[in-house]
Amino acid sequence: MTVESGAPLRAAVIGCGVIAHDHLAFLARTSNGRLVGLCDKSAALAQAACDHYAAAPVYTDASAMLANEKPDIVHVLTPPQTHDAIVRQALAAGAHVICEKPMTGTAAETGGLLDAAAAAGRVLVESRNLLFNDPVLSLLETIRAGRLGKVRECDVLLQLDFLAGPFGDTNLAGLGVDLPGGAVHDFLPHLVYLFQELTGTKELKAVHGRLENLSENPRAGFDFLDVLVDAGEARGRLRVATDVEPSAFRVIVRGSQASVETDLYNPFFHYEGPPDIGKRAPLGQMRAGFGLVGAGLANLRNKIGQHGTIHGMGRMLEAVYSAIRLGEAPPITPDDILATARMTDRIVALGAAR
Amino acid sequence: MKVLVTGAGGFLGRAVVVEALAAGHEVLAMHRPASLPEAETVPAGVTVVPGDLRQGGSWRDALGGIDAVIHCAAAASGDLPTQLAGTVLATENLLAALPSGLARFAHVSSFSVYDFAAPNWPAVLDENTPLEPRPLRRDAYTQTKLRQERMVREFCAAKGIPLAVLRPGAIYGPGKHWDYGKALAIGPFDLIFAPLSRMRLIHVRNCAAEIVAALELPEPGETMINLVDDERPTHWGYHHGARGAGAPVGLAVPVPYLAVRALGALAWLASKTFFRGRARLPEWLDLPRQQVRWRPIRYRNALARRLFGKQQVRLSEGLQETVATTLP
Repeated sequence: MTVESGAPLRAAVIGCGVIAHDHLAFLARTSNGRLVGLCDKSAALAQAACDHYAAAPVYTDASAMLANEKPDIVHVLTPPQTHDAIVRQALAAGAHVICEKPMTGTAAETGGLLDAAAAAGRVLVESRNLLFNDPVLSLLETIRAGRLGKVRECDVLLQLDFLAGPFGDTNLAGLGVDLPGGAVHDFLPHLVYLFQELTGTKELKAVHGRLENLSENPRAGFDFLDVLVDAGEARGRLRVATDVEPSAFRVIVRGSQASVETDLYNPFFHYEGPPDIGKRAPLGQMRAGFGLVGAGLANLRNKIGQHGTIHGMGRMLEAVYSAIRLGEAPPITPDDILATARMTDRIVALGAAR
Repeated sequence: MKVLVTGAGGFLGRAVVVEALAAGHEVLAMHRPASLPEAETVPAGVTVVPGDLRQGGSWRDALGGIDAVIHCAAAASGDLPTQLAGTVLATENLLAALPSGLARFAHVSSFSVYDFAAPNWPAVLDENTPLEPRPLRRDAYTQTKLRQERMVREFCAAKGIPLAVLRPGAIYGPGKHWDYGKALAIGPFDLIFAPLSRMRLIHVRNCAAEIVAALELPEPGETMINLVDDERPTHWGYHHGARGAGAPVGLAVPVPYLAVRALGALAWLASKTFFRGRARLPEWLDLPRQQVRWRPIRYRNALARRLFGKQQVRLSEGLQETVATTLP
């Protein structure tokens, strides 16, 4: 699986929409890879991306790009319903693949792609950039250090008016995204893999709640999710809402000894636990106040410095590229990907049941 | 002529439809599906074409038989991907859908495509001023309008279609007043940056009339034309005029252009020192964009005057009606 002569990976990008800008920013600065081709149905968008980030041949036909440029790795950044065919095409061309989430609409389809990758002897990774975000890394470190004790609960609560963007733009025809869980499904893998990683669980015992289209916007499919998940040793709440403000991506982890709350849009880190419990709890609250001031200053600095919510993307891609070059297992394994897809399936089924 | 007007529901597009109709053209007015005009408000001679240029659809079937295009559609705000979709992808889809045999293309570009650092003292900006050579240092609007203009020029050159590229200044009128010349408001005070620099204003009806008149230009090939009004007030003068017309403006505080540039230089230094040059700065602190808005430059409109003659709306009249629409 290692790349000949240790040269940087020859990378190609298929799909030059919004998320491509984060992938291309990584490719413009990494020493682990070199952009050799860009492809989009729109030649103008592909050329714009090329001019912005790095000079590379531009294509509107993925087959032609794969044949001509022979990339070592392909970033599949097209709408989810197109992933299956393009990922298979890239694997057949001998390339490793990084695919944006959700890789497919169902665990069965995702499993099929992972099987195809295994048969081809290539790495197939579904993007989960939030795992590499500063606040999530801090959370994972806190959990690993045992400061929370045994993790019992994890809530991941996203509130974002995504209907104001293409998912809800009724000037455009058809669905915003063609997935069983509608627009919610496009965000859901983030919530599921965060829950799984933070609780150390993979399988669901039960799920209760609602997956609905509260706005009745026909492009959204579904725009609201609120579920309680029971994963045996851990439980939690996953929520996606477009009708509450302000935008927030709150993650709360509660353990047998302590709890932590953070936010991925405007990060802070609020630890409640020993020694500041019981009679010392007010001291903890004062400490939290100072912490909040520090977080505010850091967030201001990050906003000016364009260190945004997707800042983990570069770290994730760097880790994947390094693993491929060294012939090591990637940081996101097929088992991880499949487990997320299965849990997502269970949650999305709530919508189908309606 | 049978004329397709894209972006017909926008601030400029609405005026262009009116002027095109007044000039005797049959108009196909392309509106986004979610904001179609009420049927009873659509005048005779105008056919509404519902469609969004960002994606294909039945709008393409309506273009058969058109003689000319006035391309107003563009995304004026949003992040880079949003403006790429609304301006660049939209134009790519339009060009791919146009029938052969067009008699003329009038493309609405923008002053923002120019290199505002290029003119030497005394700074004069006209159609011979070079285009921005480093658009990435500017904003998404400049990047996408430059790319859009290039696409249209290449298309028309390849197809042999006579092209007028119209580059309007700051279009004002009922519904759009450019903050009456103020850069920032602090409490009751309006900060007027570069108070003696001239604004490149053009009233929306003047602009629309000249765009429609460009359909009748005898010149073959491509013609670039800057569109600005004959009366080009200073920022201070525009603010003062707005106050006189009854606009709810604050107390004007002048900030000289040199002071604005000094602030920009400090911000640049801070960006280099603390953010590896990646700091996201507002327009009033960003050196390249400061030049675009506030540099003392004289804007020439001699070519437009020679081609299109006298303008309809004077500044005092335009300001009066603009202010009137903003009052409660």
